[in-house]
Amino acid sequence: MDRCFEEVEHTADVAIRVWGGDLAELFANAAYGMACQLADPDDVPLTVERSVELEAYDVETLLVAWLGELLYLGERDECVFAVFDVLKIVPTRLRAVAQGGAVREYRGHIKAVTFNELEIRHTEAGYETTIVFDV
Amino acid sequence: MAEKKDFKRIDKYTWELPQDFRDDMRVPARLFGDADLFGAAFRDRSVEQLINTATLPGVVKCAMAMPDFHQGYGFPIGGVAAMRMEDGVISPGGVGYDINCGVRLLGTYLEQEEVASHLQDLTMALYQSCPSGVGGKGRERVSGRELDELVTRGAKWALKRGLARQEDVAHTEEGGCLPGADPGQVSARAKERGRPQVGSLGAGNHFLEIDVVAEVYDTNVADGFGLFEDQIAVQIHCGSRGFGHQVCDDYVKGLQSAVHKYNIVLPDRELVCAPLDSPEGRAYYGAMACAVNYAFVNRQVLAMGVREAFERVLAGKVQEFDLFQVYDVCHNIAKFEEHEVDGRRMRLCVHRKGATRAFGPGRSEVPADYRGVGQPVLVPGSMGTESYVLVGTQKAMDLTFGSTCHGAGRVMSRTKARKTVYGAELRKELAREGIVVRAGSDRGLAEEAPTAYKDVSRVVEVVHGLGIARKVARLRPLGVIKG
Repeated sequence: MDRCFEEVEHTADVAIRVWGGDLAELFANAAYGMACQLADPDDVPLTVERSVELEAYDVETLLVAWLGELLYLGERDECVFAVFDVLKIVPTRLRAVAQGGAVREYRGHIKAVTFNELEIRHTEAGYETTIVFDV
Repeated sequence: MAEKKDFKRIDKYTWELPQDFRDDMRVPARLFGDADLFGAAFRDRSVEQLINTATLPGVVKCAMAMPDFHQGYGFPIGGVAAMRMEDGVISPGGVGYDINCGVRLLGTYLEQEEVASHLQDLTMALYQSCPSGVGGKGRERVSGRELDELVTRGAKWALKRGLARQEDVAHTEEGGCLPGADPGQVSARAKERGRPQVGSLGAGNHFLEIDVVAEVYDTNVADGFGLFEDQIAVQIHCGSRGFGHQVCDDYVKGLQSAVHKYNIVLPDRELVCAPLDSPEGRAYYGAMACAVNYAFVNRQVLAMGVREAFERVLAGKVQEFDLFQVYDVCHNIAKFEEHEVDGRRMRLCVHRKGATRAFGPGRSEVPADYRGVGQPVLVPGSMGTESYVLVGTQKAMDLTFGSTCHGAGRVMSRTKARKTVYGAELRKELAREGIVVRAGSDRGLAEEAPTAYKDVSRVVEVVHGLGIARKVARLRPLGVIKG
């Protein structure tokens, strides 16, 4: 895929539209799109690695849980994750590895990942969704 | 999609969309604003979000948007909706992630002239005493057991720990403690995130500000609140930090299945909810009340930091450097309150998301020394612009479940603000106006630029004109600390 995400106009918060050839790519691209809101991903040293395993009610809840998990780990370990490998994914379960590190400067802060009109759509090219972050 | 022509103008400031506009609406939807603010509603998705709010089970009278409304997630920001206890729901999306984000106003006995030469030092001292920014750790560290007590007892916990004065507690909405808090309903993760952050400002639109009372509109009421012209005051704007964000996150995810269990049909998943009279609804309320109390304590601990900073800089230089608490209000909350609907007294769950309680004179919830005039309402402007102190009214009780606006309301996305405003330039511009700014980053500064917001004075004119709060005083910033 040429484009992995783009920022979408939102009056108060931050929204990104994300694409992926399959669910694994969609989830990795969503995480990368979120990382770009937090810091410059090129400035993130890859010194920390975390494994993530999650189960959720449905695929949208899984996406919110995945991004929320990365925010939580980032806050706890005082770092930003910028490289993602989604090892295994079905609509209600995921196993992935995230790499990142401490950054010198934050671009912004995300309070939470919302369900606002969240829908993962199947397209001819794969999957697409729009995520709104509360900032 | 609703258009302007679908709304009926009720009076100068009230616009109503009838219930039959969309099949799933249970009540009409009302927008408050002058013609321009009303027109602005159609530039983003706030009208659709308001209509969605009008579909929630048990909603009474109408779903409302205060004049500072704008697009949010789930409810619009500025949204107010009240639900019947018997068949209504409670929705985490109607409160938001920053549960009990709110404002505290501290007054001083100082006039502007007395601190003019100390302003730089004061701003710096506040920056040092009140941790801010991404991941900022708080002034207080608490153990797991202490945190449970903190979130159950709110400001009373702070009082016991010597972090509050009796009069601070009395001058806080709900006396600084929302009843019904149940730490057993809060996840281990929320507690883990909350423990290190007690007494921290956070990032985003949160700020701490030294102000001067630039104008008094109602001398009697201002006098009752301890405010006078040319007086130095301090505003603290922040919420429940990672604790509240996690509580909301847990319940928005967790209640997704409850919606199916109770056969609730929703137009937007962020409006996820549970019946008030259900184990899931009670669990969310118990957890939300914990986050509300966490935020009261957070602002209380920061207020002690402000007192400490004033003492450090001004002791020995001015006679009286102490700060007293005017009031502390919530902007994001769901609460059980009694209101009159169609001539009947009803107990309701009032959701205010980006709206302020504005109870009029005589209500028992208003502190005894303010009860004769009404509750102070604190309306912060955007960074570097003016803020207002208002007073609640009987008209608000009649029209809006005792609610009014909470701020300026955004009009421009952060992306656009960054493209049109340069942080460094803005800093210089504010300095030219005599405002000292300490901010984590120029990018953050640009996102919160005054041009990204509606004109707060215009919003205040609407609520004053409509009568759902009255103007008491206007504050002008002198020193700003932005998270």
